[in-house]
Amino acid sequence: MTALLRASGLTKRYGGLLACNDFALAVMPGSLHALIGPNGAGKSTAIGLLAGEIAADAGDITFDGNDITQVAIPARVKRGLTRSFQITSVLPQFTALENVAIVAQIRAGHSFCFWRDARDDRRLTDPARAMLDRVGLGPRAAILAADLAHGEQRQLELAMALMTGARMLLLDEPMAGLGQSESQDMTALLAALKGRVTILLVEHDMDAVAALADRVSVMVSGRVIAEGSFADMQSDPAVREAYLGEAG
Amino acid sequence: MVEAIRRRLVIASTALLMLALPLVADRLAMPDLVALGTQVAIYAVAAVGLDLLIGYTGLSSFGHAGFFGLGGYVVGILAFHAADGSLFLGVVPGATAAWIAWPAAILISALAALAIGALSLRTSGVSFIMITLAFAQMLFYLFVSIKTYGGDDGLGFRRRNALPWINPRDDVAFYYVCLAVLALVLAACHRLVRSRFGIVLLGIKQNERRMAAIGLDGGRYKLAVFTLAGAIAGLAGALQANLLRFVSPDMLHWTMSGDFMVMVVLGGVGTLVGPVFGAAAMVLLQSWLTQWTEHWMIVMGPVLVAVILLTRRGIWGALAGRR
Ligand SMILES: Nc1ncnc2c1ncn2[C@@H]1O[C@H](COP(=O)(O)OP(=O)(O)OP(=O)(O)O)[C@@H](O)[C@H]1O
Ligand SMILES: [Mg+2]
Repeated sequence: MTALLRASGLTKRYGGLLACNDFALAVMPGSLHALIGPNGAGKSTAIGLLAGEIAADAGDITFDGNDITQVAIPARVKRGLTRSFQITSVLPQFTALENVAIVAQIRAGHSFCFWRDARDDRRLTDPARAMLDRVGLGPRAAILAADLAHGEQRQLELAMALMTGARMLLLDEPMAGLGQSESQDMTALLAALKGRVTILLVEHDMDAVAALADRVSVMVSGRVIAEGSFADMQSDPAVREAYLGEAG
Repeated sequence: MVEAIRRRLVIASTALLMLALPLVADRLAMPDLVALGTQVAIYAVAAVGLDLLIGYTGLSSFGHAGFFGLGGYVVGILAFHAADGSLFLGVVPGATAAWIAWPAAILISALAALAIGALSLRTSGVSFIMITLAFAQMLFYLFVSIKTYGGDDGLGFRRRNALPWINPRDDVAFYYVCLAVLALVLAACHRLVRSRFGIVLLGIKQNERRMAAIGLDGGRYKLAVFTLAGAIAGLAGALQANLLRFVSPDMLHWTMSGDFMVMVVLGGVGTLVGPVFGAAAMVLLQSWLTQWTEHWMIVMGPVLVAVILLTRRGIWGALAGRR
């Protein structure tokens, strides 16, 4: 089987710092692939490069067999590659429903429609409502995103990413800032998605990684130093050293 | 619910007052009120357009007067060439009919906004404010330097543009024309901000990075709304030229851009009707205060600060309750 997403030689330099250094990764279709590593390893930079938000200094990215290295973010989203953010990123003055409906609108094509009221367009709100139900936010549809609890905002972000029709999600620490029970809810949500959407999961929560990941890549100082099953990584001496016994 | 009724009441009574203004002016024997009302309506048209940028897209353009003045000059220059039968650039004949001059003003301002927007929108934040200011100042100096059209002194013309069934010398009729234009612009913008296009603008204002991540190419929408706001300012400029039968570089000066921003902020950012109240407050305060002192800004400044600090959404927020 060939990889859905493949990166090779990805490099990003910030001044003297190599945030990504000859970064290579292959994510198999249908798998949940975890990318872990200590703070500052370059995980978010890698996500930014893969999503098209950051321009690489060197390297190639292929998605579904096509070279997308030079493809802009919106076009990557149209091909089915969507990211989420480490720091919660929603539209605070829109309700939960509006946050998802606007994604449905963008997916439906251009928005150069100046006259018809779009706020209660059932073609947008119906699928948005269904998506909110799917992530467990159905009852909170009418609440402003700014007034949602942090855990709910993270669920909303996932709903927005899914609403793009993504075949592959790049999730940057979806559990960041969540309490234990909220983390478990999010883990259950991702477990339900697993297999239907290919996922690259950046996460510090090792319980979640252990429960979810088919494969784990460990990133240190801008490059992947080891890859295998979660158990393999736990016993890998290089990984143990990188984490200084912190995890693993 | 109560707030919705209150909002409608405020809008209805304001509309009534504006419709009845010529009668009131007549009764009070204050004919100047009609000219003031016309000025309010014209500035309001431009300010509503600017609110699309500031209040709905998060684009703080400091060059709005550039498009306002450009629209005015299109009317002035066409009138100038019509008067002596000469040709603009040796090809374009002059015109005095509104149905030619006003669409021409809108078109030229829109094209200028398209070009200036295409360059300015590569930046954001403070850089965007400065670059729009710089482009408007370039237009200002351009008209200062064209001696054919009066340079510094500006350019006067004898008659307002001809409209069917309307006597161009009738100030009250012209007031109602401006009022009708304002009503049309408000109604169109009201629909616009609730359309798919408007929703995308609100999304860009709240979190542009997020909008890109869900697949939006935001640049096209920002350029479209910048062009639209420029076109609306051009229309307002055409009306302004007709009100005074005179255009001058003052229309394009950066202080005029600042005044438009003040109208939007004073009236209520992101409310569309707010800027109408902002324009009224600005014009009335200016006309009353200049009777006492030429340094009317000394009073205007503190008023602005007080309104911003004490209300959530400017005058409109105070009148209609917060939303
Ligand atoms: N825009 C930037 N300019 C300069 N340096 C940056 C920039 N973005 C990231 N860096 C640096 O690059 C390195 C990698 O950062 P990155 O955010 O990718 O790490 P991370 O693995 O996601 O860390 P964390 O687990 O804390 O989220 C860090 O040293 C960071 O300070
Ligand atoms: Mg990170």
